[in-house]
Amino acid sequence: MNVSDLSAPRRGQGALIPLLLALLVFVGLPALLAGFDRGYFYQIANLALIFILLSASMHLVTGVAGLLHLGHAAFYGVGAYTAALLSTKFGLGFTVTLPLSGLVAALIAFLVALPTMRLVSIYFAVATLAIGQMLYLVMLNWVEFTKGPNGIIVTKGLELFGFSLSGRLATYYTVATVVALCVLAIGRLSHSYYGNALRSIREDDQCADAMGVSTARLKMEAFTLSAFFAGVAGSLWAHMTGYISPGDFKFSESILILAMVVVGGLGSLPGAVIGALLLILLPEGLRAFGDFRNIMVGLVMFLSILLLPKGLLGEVSALQLARRQLGAAWRNTVKGEGIGWR
Amino acid sequence: MTALKTASLAALVTGALTGVLTTGTALAADTVKIGYQLPLTGETAQYGQDFRKAAEIALTEFNAAGKPFKAEIVFEDSRSDAKEGTNIARKFVDDKEIVGVLGDFTSGVSMASAQVYKDAGMPQLSQTASHPDYTKISKYQFRNIATQAQEGPYNAKWMLSKGYKNIAVIAEQTDWGQSVVSGFTDGVKANGGTVVFSEFFNRGLKDYRSLISKLERAKPDAIYTGFFYEDGAQFLRQVQQLGIKTPVYSTSAAYSPKLIELAGEAAEGVHLTSNFLPTDPAPHIQHFVTEWKAASNGAVPGQFPAQAYDAVRIMLAAVEKAYPNPTREKVRDALAQTKDFPGVTGKTSFSADREAEKELVKVEVKGGAFVPVAD
Repeated sequence: MNVSDLSAPRRGQGALIPLLLALLVFVGLPALLAGFDRGYFYQIANLALIFILLSASMHLVTGVAGLLHLGHAAFYGVGAYTAALLSTKFGLGFTVTLPLSGLVAALIAFLVALPTMRLVSIYFAVATLAIGQMLYLVMLNWVEFTKGPNGIIVTKGLELFGFSLSGRLATYYTVATVVALCVLAIGRLSHSYYGNALRSIREDDQCADAMGVSTARLKMEAFTLSAFFAGVAGSLWAHMTGYISPGDFKFSESILILAMVVVGGLGSLPGAVIGALLLILLPEGLRAFGDFRNIMVGLVMFLSILLLPKGLLGEVSALQLARRQLGAAWRNTVKGEGIGWR
Repeated sequence: MTALKTASLAALVTGALTGVLTTGTALAADTVKIGYQLPLTGETAQYGQDFRKAAEIALTEFNAAGKPFKAEIVFEDSRSDAKEGTNIARKFVDDKEIVGVLGDFTSGVSMASAQVYKDAGMPQLSQTASHPDYTKISKYQFRNIATQAQEGPYNAKWMLSKGYKNIAVIAEQTDWGQSVVSGFTDGVKANGGTVVFSEFFNRGLKDYRSLISKLERAKPDAIYTGFFYEDGAQFLRQVQQLGIKTPVYSTSAAYSPKLIELAGEAAEGVHLTSNFLPTDPAPHIQHFVTEWKAASNGAVPGQFPAQAYDAVRIMLAAVEKAYPNPTREKVRDALAQTKDFPGVTGKTSFSADREAEKELVKVEVKGGAFVPVAD
């Protein structure tokens, strides 16, 4: 695919779709939610929004730059813990903790990225796995600082400069505004020359390097930016739920976010959003099926990869990316002997 | 391809939405609903499945007893995930017919859900949440489990009375494990003993040998442990493999027939506390054991299912007390008044801070079975 197609604004529909989406998120959905007036729907809407942000932030690293990231939930956790600790130890409110959570997560991502960003393919994936596990173990075992497995009760809800936003509709609007702004920023980043530079790493990092693209620096930037947005999502979660513990940020959450990006379609921001919606709404929607609902969610994921290897709205095939990341030794055909590992 | 994509996408999202929007059917006037959130799938599903089985036994009994109303329990799977737990909590709160909630299994999910129940004024009774701060969240949180603040000092006195002055403590790295170590250490210090070693391990650890040899270097007279049966069995087997004879003591959380099943001979001589003895001849206990065996291929119930069975019965008793026209507030007040409830885990009363006060029994593993001992 011609890379320049991906970022060129499509005339005519360029402004219409975002406008319709904004109408849906800020007028249509709230009207529906208020109409039903059930806390359950508000809760699911907010949760879906938070995971849209997480999925969109991972999209920047995994979808656009094509780097398999296995530790994203840890930065989500760093954000949540920053918000929780700042609010319980120093009495700071959401207005202050929201940006700080993002900044602290970004700072930590930057520091751990310094030594690791020259790694490629599976080595990068394993490094992010290790980073995620390290941060998780810090949250779990540094009991004096993080209260460890006891978790933290966050008494301060959502607010704006001291003005409480903890009502149902106010909470929804706060979460929706923050998420929409972040997703907009991620969209601008990924559909720009900057985004194209990241895509060049995904397509062929050596070639990009040879053309003068500073791949290590770009990887570091993408990694740090994505951690920033994950941190913001963490702050939203901490203030919204009122209680966090390390279990919320373990490895399986990273995999969940990765699955959202992959099912939705690697490299596509709408795909990341739809992937998040699907994997949050589907398990809730299937509650009626009791113990089978997880199998059904798994089946949907499996079938979507099998039948739609590019995901629902994908730019690149998940299978291709996985092969490139995990197996330099994988070949599509070995002299007519079919596919397989060398 | 595009058409297929669009169609499948539309189908998936619509399917998910319809499911979310489907609501429960209306009930007859003489039915009272209770919610039960528990992990029916996921890493801790074995506990949740047991709880559901125990709850169903309690429910069938209640509905067969000719009470003025029928009870119904709505089970929802939380996967021991705080996200799902809070979703369920909102769902239960929305359902105006639900007057009380049981669960969750882990303290983490129970506490995240409790934030919802606190604001909504919904009584919540967990059969296992042991986090010291759980019942402090609001006046709506209750638990049917002896806390480590109670069990720790009890076990400390027991071990000190046996002449073990220098004790090593290990526990899993969870909120519960933290309370095991702090509760026990306080008890040992207050009664003149010394904790010579204390360390946490992560749940699901496979190799305890380095921990065991480190522990042995502190030369303890006995080892006190905070683990559930899966980790406990691994630990005990490896203690035996290393030829260590130091006596091992544990909490009621390890009290499960599966501990002996998995650890085999290595479980011999382990001392622990319990408040449920399936061998107790009291008729109500034997009744539960028989029902449980019938529902689980002859297996003997452990401590946790018994706690769940009692929790459900305590909740149903509170609903009955609040009947007719039970409201969440009335059920909460009735729960708070629970006094000397004759459960299978002993007589249970709630203290003013909604903690279960229970009698503990001393048990030793002898000849492949839990045997009550006097000291």
